[in-house]
Amino acid sequence: MRRTTPWLRIAVVLITGCAVLLPLAIVFYQSLLDAPFFQPSAKPSLAAFRFVLADADFHRAFLTTAIVACGMTILAVPLGSALAFLLVRTDLPGRKWLEPVVLIPIFLSPVVLAFGYVVAAGPVGFFTLWTKQALGGAPWNIYSLGSLTVIAGLTHIPYVFLYTSSALRALGADLEEAASVAGAGTARIAFTISLPMVRPAILYSAVLVFFLGFEIFGLALVLGDPGGLLVLSTYLYKLTNRLGVPSYQLMAVVAVVIIAIAFPLIYLQRRLLGVSRHFVTVAGKGLSQRPLRLGPWRWLAFGGVLVWLAGTVLLPLSGVFMRAFVSAWGEGVRLFDVLTLDNFRELADYPNLVRGVLNTLGLAVFGGALAVAWYAAIGLATHRWQGLWTKVMDYLVMVPRGMPGLIAGLAFLWVFLFIKPLAPLRSTLFSVWLAYSVVWLAYGMRLISSALLQVGPELEEAAAVAGASAGRVNRDVTLPLIRFGLVGSWLLVFMIFVREYSTGVYLLGPGTEMIGSLIVSLWATGAIDIVAALSVVNVLLVAVGLGAALRLGVRLHG
Amino acid sequence: MRRNPRLDFSCLLATLLSLGAAAESKNPATSPQVISAAEKEGKIVIYSTTDSAAAAPLLKDFGALYPKVTVEYNDMNSTEVYNRFVSEAAAGSGSADLLWSSAMDLQIKLANDGYSQEYASPEASHLPSWAVWKNEAFGTTFEPLGFVYNKRLLKPEEVPQSHADLINKLKASPEKFKGKVTSYDPERSGLGFLLITQDARTDPAFAEAAKTYGKVGVKLYTSTGAMMERISSGEHLIGFNMISSYAIAKMRKDQALGIAYPKDYTLVMSRIALIPKAAKHANAAKLFLDYLISARGQDIIGNKAALFSIRTDVQGETTAATLTKQMGSSLKPIPVSPALLVYLDQSKRLEFLKQWQEALGTK
Repeated sequence: MRRTTPWLRIAVVLITGCAVLLPLAIVFYQSLLDAPFFQPSAKPSLAAFRFVLADADFHRAFLTTAIVACGMTILAVPLGSALAFLLVRTDLPGRKWLEPVVLIPIFLSPVVLAFGYVVAAGPVGFFTLWTKQALGGAPWNIYSLGSLTVIAGLTHIPYVFLYTSSALRALGADLEEAASVAGAGTARIAFTISLPMVRPAILYSAVLVFFLGFEIFGLALVLGDPGGLLVLSTYLYKLTNRLGVPSYQLMAVVAVVIIAIAFPLIYLQRRLLGVSRHFVTVAGKGLSQRPLRLGPWRWLAFGGVLVWLAGTVLLPLSGVFMRAFVSAWGEGVRLFDVLTLDNFRELADYPNLVRGVLNTLGLAVFGGALAVAWYAAIGLATHRWQGLWTKVMDYLVMVPRGMPGLIAGLAFLWVFLFIKPLAPLRSTLFSVWLAYSVVWLAYGMRLISSALLQVGPELEEAAAVAGASAGRVNRDVTLPLIRFGLVGSWLLVFMIFVREYSTGVYLLGPGTEMIGSLIVSLWATGAIDIVAALSVVNVLLVAVGLGAALRLGVRLHG
Repeated sequence: MRRNPRLDFSCLLATLLSLGAAAESKNPATSPQVISAAEKEGKIVIYSTTDSAAAAPLLKDFGALYPKVTVEYNDMNSTEVYNRFVSEAAAGSGSADLLWSSAMDLQIKLANDGYSQEYASPEASHLPSWAVWKNEAFGTTFEPLGFVYNKRLLKPEEVPQSHADLINKLKASPEKFKGKVTSYDPERSGLGFLLITQDARTDPAFAEAAKTYGKVGVKLYTSTGAMMERISSGEHLIGFNMISSYAIAKMRKDQALGIAYPKDYTLVMSRIALIPKAAKHANAAKLFLDYLISARGQDIIGNKAALFSIRTDVQGETTAATLTKQMGSSLKPIPVSPALLVYLDQSKRLEFLKQWQEALGTK
């Protein structure tokens, strides 16, 4: 159809390539030196690789991380897909209000989430103490590898949910209707029609969740420290400190190793997706969706969802909320004696609080939208374009997240320091936005890619035949058809930007405070009560906002 | 007992007046040239490990004293201060005018590597001699490291009074303390490493102590918050080498926490301030440094920011003066000196860590 050279597409790919490769190139270069790359004394050396790869702590951390990543993928993918099917395609009671609640674990800072678990179910958590009183003992230890894996798995379900639900929303109802007419029950439809049809979304989310496992930090720091569990990102602390001054070359090696894991993963993902035409579900004729009936299973399914919510949202959140309203907790404390609003009063006095909240919401709402626009441009640029560029792009989008937060933060500082044309942008919010958008590129973009895979070519072809330009086809046909993917992508990016911190740590300054950075600096001095109060405010703000947005969204699209 | 409110008021007024008069004489002795040059610069950029909330009273008072100089205050952790500064210095782009960090060894390293500039502060003569190195690095606080414990779960007689006492108590009731003792992880926290090497140097029975920590399964963390919260909840009973300034700020709200300073020796750390060579607003930095160690600034450090003032002529609860009265010669300040560089030598550092792990029995 389009025989001219697609300059616009190439431009999008090139710009994205630069944004992704600049920080990575610095990290890679650093890994091959024996000193900070900006020191004149730095010489090429493989010593850093030798040191890290021979380090017993690295082996231990790598193994633990691999177990956590596998475990959480195995848990999160089936449960997340089932949750998405129930909430999007069936007549599950209360599915409208459940959605914002389901998403809470994404936008809550993982440190706070993990801490909520400690307050609720730690060795002296209130839930543990009740159980001990009632049963004489509490048979769990939240500091074990098993608990860390299960908690990581359960709290990553919302990612899978977001991916699968966006794809399910765009699923034409014709096949499900046909199966229903032929007498198939709802479960059968789910397992033979609906979920297999959204396989790209599920697969993408599986790969991304697995990869998140390698970067897992906050959960591991709070839940892993007491038991001495070491994962790759907490191992980086050792590398920062072991030689006295931060050894960037050693840290860079860890990033390079994680990035190396991304390649076979993406290769596997490309193989499994194979010919993308299989997943076309938005075709010339569409039937509007009707919720499938769960019949007698309705309440059982509802119960199942509630159990998950109790374990993943209610339990940690009750810990955080409780901590926000007391002055002390734990063994030998009567809750009624310690109730207080002081934490909120103190929070209100905290310098720059309001500005931090506004900055965060601004960056999340508008920066998020801008990031989605960029991701959509990449999606459209590689849409129906089988070529080397597209293949390269598939690999490119994934690698930035291979840098754990501690390293990503440094890498972006270096980009804005040493790439001179970018230097003037360093102290603006643009630098923070770019860093966030690049690191989370795969996560926002894959939602759009999977939506694009669902769009059949005939609608676009019809428009082109009728004389529409390529831009017009995109604007009037393709983009409206992938709106659920766009909304899902924006939701995800919004929530991640709300809680993100480490990537921007070296780019934030006075005037650009974020909730994430406030939480970290309060945490460091031990003001966990104020962290809890801030998190409560954060949850209420975002949940109410999300609820309203989703309601509005439902009305707009429904 | 009912007090006469009017009497109280006049008392208050008298106190306020005397404070006002005292504040006048407590002002920093910065030379008029530096003051006017600083006011011309109009701005100072600070990278600091002291969090904004603790620093707020200082910044406010500085702003009242020198309204023409705006302070751009960035708080971050000690590794971030170091990383950010050396990267920015290498790129030759704008960086901080003053670094104020609790990572004493990293600050001395920066000074030793030639990143700092000399400034003969007119206030420096009021600092103890161990707190100033070459007029380049200045200790600004006097923060003792203590035992923080859970008051609900440890009876007063169970609170250790010295390092030796702690070890004896751990040995006497290993069941009670199993998994209940906490401190910084010297492998993952620079401060933890600094403190434990000071212990090793000061405590003649350190080897035995380390072995005992290993036996009770000491829990090692990277952040103060994680430790104090767990002591307060009763998950842990006691922490050693805890930064008292943070503990005291928390104790004001949390009745569960208590603090004890070991009587055999109490380590004291100091936040070090230095002015980088390439500081864009060097005069403003000098002005702020003078203020920080002036009687006026130290009064706020000791009495409002709960960071412990280092000047002996400043009175109040959290000051070196009061502490010295209580503890006498058992206070062991960590000197601001190149001795801090010893363990930045890779092989010495790795060797120490190896011994530490062997003593704990984790390797």
